[in-house]
Amino acid sequence: MFHQTPLKTFTVAAVIAALALYAILGGYFPREIVIEIALLAILAVSLDFVAGYGGMVSLCHGAIYGIGAYAFAGMTAIGGYDTVTATLVALAAAAAFGLFVGAVAANITGIFFIMATLAFGQMAYVVVFESRALGGDDGLSGIARYDLSAIGIDMNDSLQFALFCLAVVVIAYAAAAYVLRSTFGRTLSGIHSNEDRMRALGLTAWRHKAVAFSFSSMLAGAAGILAAQHTQFVSPELLVWTVSGEVLIVVILGGLGTLAGPIAGAALLVLLKHKIGAYTEHWHLVIGLFLVAAVMAGGRGVYGQIEYWLRQRAGRRADA
Amino acid sequence: MLDVRDICKNFGGLRVSRDISMHLERGERRVVLGPNGAGKTTLFNLLAGTLKPTSGEILLDGARITNLNVEQRARLGLSRSYQKNNLFEGLTVRENLALAAATGEGKTSSFFSRAHESRSVRETVEEVAEMVGLADRLDTGVAHASYGNRRQLEVGLALATKPKLLLMDEPTSGVGPGMIDAFHRLIASLPREITIVIVEHDLDLGFDVADRISVLNYGEVVFEGTPDETKGSDVVREIYLGDWQGDA
Repeated sequence: MFHQTPLKTFTVAAVIAALALYAILGGYFPREIVIEIALLAILAVSLDFVAGYGGMVSLCHGAIYGIGAYAFAGMTAIGGYDTVTATLVALAAAAAFGLFVGAVAANITGIFFIMATLAFGQMAYVVVFESRALGGDDGLSGIARYDLSAIGIDMNDSLQFALFCLAVVVIAYAAAAYVLRSTFGRTLSGIHSNEDRMRALGLTAWRHKAVAFSFSSMLAGAAGILAAQHTQFVSPELLVWTVSGEVLIVVILGGLGTLAGPIAGAALLVLLKHKIGAYTEHWHLVIGLFLVAAVMAGGRGVYGQIEYWLRQRAGRRADA
Repeated sequence: MLDVRDICKNFGGLRVSRDISMHLERGERRVVLGPNGAGKTTLFNLLAGTLKPTSGEILLDGARITNLNVEQRARLGLSRSYQKNNLFEGLTVRENLALAAATGEGKTSSFFSRAHESRSVRETVEEVAEMVGLADRLDTGVAHASYGNRRQLEVGLALATKPKLLLMDEPTSGVGPGMIDAFHRLIASLPREITIVIVEHDLDLGFDVADRISVLNYGEVVFEGTPDETKGSDVVREIYLGDWQGDA
């Protein structure tokens, strides 16, 4: 069950502040890294919402991210719609896809659920890849960024865009945390803990899971909208299942079922990738070792482990 | 209140329940007894909705519920407890009861309210905790609770949805001899407006809490009567104790 503890608040605030500082003090390249972290962090929060609090481990969040990006791109670059309409349509498209996947897969458990989401994600990938209207494997370019000049923000400035992305991370986290503390979120925790019992108490569990998956997908779609604006170009690469795999790695590295951990995990993974990547091409190996260590050490992830230690200490103090 | 009409359940060629009928008045406590393999668990699952009968009808307050699934039956006021504790692990007793109470109120889907902390849910939680003797254990983590407390919570979860009909599957299963009497008193003290069906193999529970007792053997109801009639019944004695002469 989710509680917005001081440690979570502190962690999110500290990671976001550090990244903002890094973007402000750094040049173009650090800002690109911050944007990459921000997009991954939003995806990781959205995945942790369903995986960590609903027990639904998804391998199609990359595809949903791509659907959000493509819907926004198609609406602005092909349809000529304004960015607000495009945003709403993209969020709705991601949520609708999530509702469909969630409704179909809700009664499937464990590894089969993961395989079902993978299959749906691959279908979306193939559809986009084969679609001439969406540019096929050439992708789509000429995507507009938000025009926030009315409030004095220049989205074409790399620093301001990076800070905007960080703000969306905070919004996504706050939205997920809010919903997890709501009636809906508590019920979702109940399903995660004991679905059979929730049904015996009168809950239509599959419908609840489908709605949860849809909400998570909407957050993933938001990351996609930013991704489309970031490069102002979308390609089927966004929907490849390895994107989903990377998000899952981030969630596990940061701490599954902690919501704050995945944000730290995203920062850790991307920074490791770039820092180690500067020395060797084999940075995957180092990340791999890191992941193995994180899983072997109790599977709580970096943030999850810290949270665990502090709780143990608090418990000992209470006993003393 | 509850009408079971000629239900049969076959698993392939195996007839596990045969033409079972029973009629319960509102507020009645019915204990279904029978030796191992008599078809008690199957009957329980047919009533709870985890199994569908091959033939026959089940009516709750006159409405056919034969083809309804578990959650639909629950929403009509039919609640169940489990033979093996089936709790929300990792949560406290309070959080467990709040989940059941809010779900019982049908409050599960709002993104913008906090039903689990609402006054009505809190009141239900406290009321139920009082009923099952967990009032001073509300903030205990379920994982750290004693077996007896977990058993009490098992009943509490079923009560927190405020059911009309409560089905209990061997409620004293695993409870030590020192606590059996307390558990029988707990069940006997439940509010009289709740109709209760208890499936049990222990005769004493039947004698302590039942208004009427049904005895199953080989999937059939072979006896029905008050506890006193049951005590005097040759059929029941034979099923439970066997043929004394033959065994000797």
